[in-house]
Amino acid sequence: MNDWQMKSPLDWEKYVNKMVKVAAVEKHEYEGWVLTVDPVSASVVLATFLENEKVSISVVLGHAVQEVEILKEGDDEMKQRLSCIFVPEES
Amino acid sequence: GPAAAQGVRAALRERYLRGLAAARGRSTRFCLRAGVCVEAVFGAADVAAVAFQVDALRTPLGVQAAALLRCTDVLAYSFLL
Repeated sequence: MNDWQMKSPLDWEKYVNKMVKVAAVEKHEYEGWVLTVDPVSASVVLATFLENEKVSISVVLGHAVQEVEILKEGDDEMKQRLSCIFVPEES
Repeated sequence: GPAAAQGVRAALRERYLRGLAAARGRSTRFCLRAGVCVEAVFGAADVAAVAFQVDALRTPLGVQAAALLRCTDVLAYSFLL
């Protein structure tokens, strides 16, 4: 288990709704807004907003995470936007 | 305390599971170890995060109708909503 996987849910929650840079093994880097961190695998779920109104979701697996750096705090508008992403559409 | 931590854990997990549900059926790019990337249609993940089930896995030898990708081999995956 790496340092990131050893953190507690309260530690992971501090990253939610923040723009982060994740350094992963093999020199991979990912940037985006943290939607959640899976407490089972410590995987980080990131959202990035593309120009064509689409949302790109990237999941970095917990075992591959080396470091997570907070770049920016999310304001209320961003929190609201992020909270809507995985809400199922009403049919 | 422990109860608060458990509540946070449940909220984080629920959001993660909703993310998996959103991934289902979407074309997904998986980054594996050693710089290998493959495309497949996301199927499902097991609760213990051991493997991902995917369909239409594109490999240099052709398209595999169904496959399991071990989580230990996967560094990251991404898809569009």
